[in-house]
Amino acid sequence: MNTSDRILQVENLTKTYGKGDNKTEALKGISFDVLEGEFLGIMGASGSGKTTLLNCIATMLRPTSGRIILKGQDISGFKGSKLADYRGKEIGYLFQEFELLDNLTARENITLPLSLHGITAKKAEADIQALAVMLDITEVLDKFPGQMSGGQKQRVAAARALVSSPDIVLADEPTGALDSKNSKTLMDKLATINKEQGKTIMMVTHDANAASYCSRIMFIQDGCIFHELRKKINKESTADFYDRIVAVMAQLGGGSVNVL
Amino acid sequence: MFFKQVWRNAAKNRKGNGLFFGSLVIAIVAFYTLLSLGEQDVMIYLAKVESDAVRKLLMLLPAVYVVSLFFVFFLVYFACKYQTDSRKREFGMYLMLGMKRSRMFFMLFLETLWSSLISLLIGIPVAFFLTEGISLATARMVGLGIIGHHFSFSMSAIIWTVCGFVIVQLIAMLIICVRLAKTQPADFLSSGAQEKQISMSISQSTEFFAIGVILLFVAYYLGVFRLHTLDARVFLTIIGCGIMGTFTLYKGLGGFLGRQIKRKSPNAVGLQTFTSRQVQENVLSQHKSLAVASLLLLMAFACVSYGISMGFGRSASRSADFSMFGEEQQINSILEQEDVKEMVKTSYPMYLSMIKQEYWEGEEKEFDMSRFVAAVAKVDGTENILENLHIDYIIAESSYNQLLKSMDKDEINLREHEVALYSSMATDGNFGIMVEESLKNNAAIGIDGTEHAIASKLYYDNIVADRAITLYMALIVPDELFYELAREPEVYCQNVRLKDELVDELGLMQAVSKMDDRLAQTGVEYDSFLVGIGRNLFYTVSASYLTIYLGVLFWIIANTVIGLKYLIQQRQTKHRYKTLSMLGAGTEEMCHSVKKQIQIFFMLVLVVAVISSVAAIYSMFTSFTKLPIGTNMHMVVAISAMVLFAFVLTEVIYIGVVKRTASKEVSAIN
Repeated sequence: MNTSDRILQVENLTKTYGKGDNKTEALKGISFDVLEGEFLGIMGASGSGKTTLLNCIATMLRPTSGRIILKGQDISGFKGSKLADYRGKEIGYLFQEFELLDNLTARENITLPLSLHGITAKKAEADIQALAVMLDITEVLDKFPGQMSGGQKQRVAAARALVSSPDIVLADEPTGALDSKNSKTLMDKLATINKEQGKTIMMVTHDANAASYCSRIMFIQDGCIFHELRKKINKESTADFYDRIVAVMAQLGGGSVNVL
Repeated sequence: MFFKQVWRNAAKNRKGNGLFFGSLVIAIVAFYTLLSLGEQDVMIYLAKVESDAVRKLLMLLPAVYVVSLFFVFFLVYFACKYQTDSRKREFGMYLMLGMKRSRMFFMLFLETLWSSLISLLIGIPVAFFLTEGISLATARMVGLGIIGHHFSFSMSAIIWTVCGFVIVQLIAMLIICVRLAKTQPADFLSSGAQEKQISMSISQSTEFFAIGVILLFVAYYLGVFRLHTLDARVFLTIIGCGIMGTFTLYKGLGGFLGRQIKRKSPNAVGLQTFTSRQVQENVLSQHKSLAVASLLLLMAFACVSYGISMGFGRSASRSADFSMFGEEQQINSILEQEDVKEMVKTSYPMYLSMIKQEYWEGEEKEFDMSRFVAAVAKVDGTENILENLHIDYIIAESSYNQLLKSMDKDEINLREHEVALYSSMATDGNFGIMVEESLKNNAAIGIDGTEHAIASKLYYDNIVADRAITLYMALIVPDELFYELAREPEVYCQNVRLKDELVDELGLMQAVSKMDDRLAQTGVEYDSFLVGIGRNLFYTVSASYLTIYLGVLFWIIANTVIGLKYLIQQRQTKHRYKTLSMLGAGTEEMCHSVKKQIQIFFMLVLVVAVISSVAAIYSMFTSFTKLPIGTNMHMVVAISAMVLFAFVLTEVIYIGVVKRTASKEVSAIN
């Protein structure tokens, strides 16, 4: 592995909540790298620390110790406009509940990260159109979220996460609030974007189906990396990969004694 | 445990929400200020000189109190709603932990009572000092002097304040609890009810907006050009068009704003689009509150203007302080006495008499009013005046000039065959203005076959000290003509005016009282200006005080409604700021957006209210509340400017408080 391929490095990351007797260690010194163009899935039981990890990378939480390095820059110390720039330009975030601003139209929602950095919708019109075509949302661009289906909302949210061409897209259970049909459509779109544009995606999920679209999956248990699965590119079908994921999940549920 | 929790919750509410608590204290101050009116120094004094009128005013107070209760209810209701809305999750938790709804409501009621008690403990002393301040200030302003001031703690005012306040708070809580009783625990626990984007077709909103503007213009037009007819139908149409216009304007405003946003959004940067959409959403979902707030502000402006004009309108200008009747020699000897002399600025005889009977019988000598009647008839709306037009009295020019001189006014210089018209009713609204206008139409009076032109200025300064004596119309004629026409050409009375230094030093009322005491010892018959001051004061204090009071109350309520409505909406959409933050918006940028939203939100209400107020106040002053002629316009403008400045200043402070509260909530998100 070439060092220059690594887009994200997480080194010895810890996160502790509370003090004294009430101390809870959510992350216990996690280290891993994410390569450019990778589709990384993070799985684990509730309370395993996967969302805490994603939130630390997204700067929604400040880690207790350790470093997060995105493209050679340690983001732990970012503040003020540097932090705002990081959030708006270098990462794209996809929420479980979409978090679209319901008083803005789809177009205005998608444009928001750009206009926050001084780019008008007029200038970005071509990019917005291209994304809308790719995510199949051209018809809802001038509608308000209240007038869209859940799937359309999440695809608009995906367009918003991608519009500023971030280095990495962080997704927190993006299919969590969608039915199976809309989940599949969304995952197909994300996989296409990952393959065709080489966009790096890091996704936290419970859903083995959604995880089977990933190229690598990291399993977390009690704040530590517990296991890792890699898809055998060109050799393994999504269905086979799904079976392997389910097997590991069964192990996770049954405890570490029987692991592999 | 339960009571400890009640106590803690109430304390948390007070600390966490200054606006809520401030509203409660304002409500208490409002009640006490009104109810303690009878205890004010000025009122106590007036009760002596104008007891009947004061009694009538005090009988009016309960009605004003009920009106205040009604409006303060809205203030308290919105404050309590804001408070309970922010605690919805907590209520959901209580229910899920097994608390009965009845117990939860009981807890809320106890909290309300506890908060009421604390508000009363703070509000009543504040109200007490405020009313004492007003009492001292008005006493000083009207020259009552503050030496005799005593602190008046009105027990009945306190009891009614407490009753009114507690009842209003409990009713507000009852309504809120009824609403809460229908809410499911899951709805309590959800992060906040999101208002759905209300979509109204563009053409529909344009229609509403256009109809609103048209209705308002109809109301303005009728107010400015037709209200002076004082026709009840016109009045009702203005009220109807004004209210409906304001409501429909705000109903269509959201769509109008939406179109503007759509037009501008391709070139918008930063949070411009978000800011505008937030405002639009507020307007769409709160258009009724905005209309109510705008109308309340309009009422506030109108009430305060009316109150001030009433103060001016009824102000009896000071001409003669004393009128003494009797033997000239006796009067002169009194005026020559040292202690009297040092108080007197000037004294002069007033020649006033009825016109000799023979001029009216009109065979040998004739008094011809036809040209004067014709001149009056040329002015619109003078039908009533024409019916009663008669001139019975004459005043000698020299006496009247001495009166003018004592008031430091320009004297009259009647030319040959010229007379001037006098009426002590000229200060009563329209009458004086119409009569003076008719004098410009070459008005003249024929006396004994000779035409005498009437000077174009109408004179109205009281010729005797007692304001109860009025002269409907009289002629000011040159002295020679006076002796020719007068039935009793002797001195009517001797007028006395006090030294300005004395008045400045003691205040008018005390200066007049001092001279009054001195003259009472002499046994001479006299009238004093005291009653005049009393009546003037009564009108100033009662009419101005009550209307200004209601104006200020409306103004506070309107602002609180707008402020709290905004804050409630912001709290419901708090999660948006979290999303914005994740999308790269800085805290400062978001706070800036919030401040701008508040500014625009307030402006949307203020602009309509101010435009309507300008039309309303103009209509008012050109119809039923005309300022009397001779009102010092510089003074009116100066006072209006001061009031306007006070409005702007307090508005800025209020908007500032709301901005700070909202920014604090947004800053806490990050």
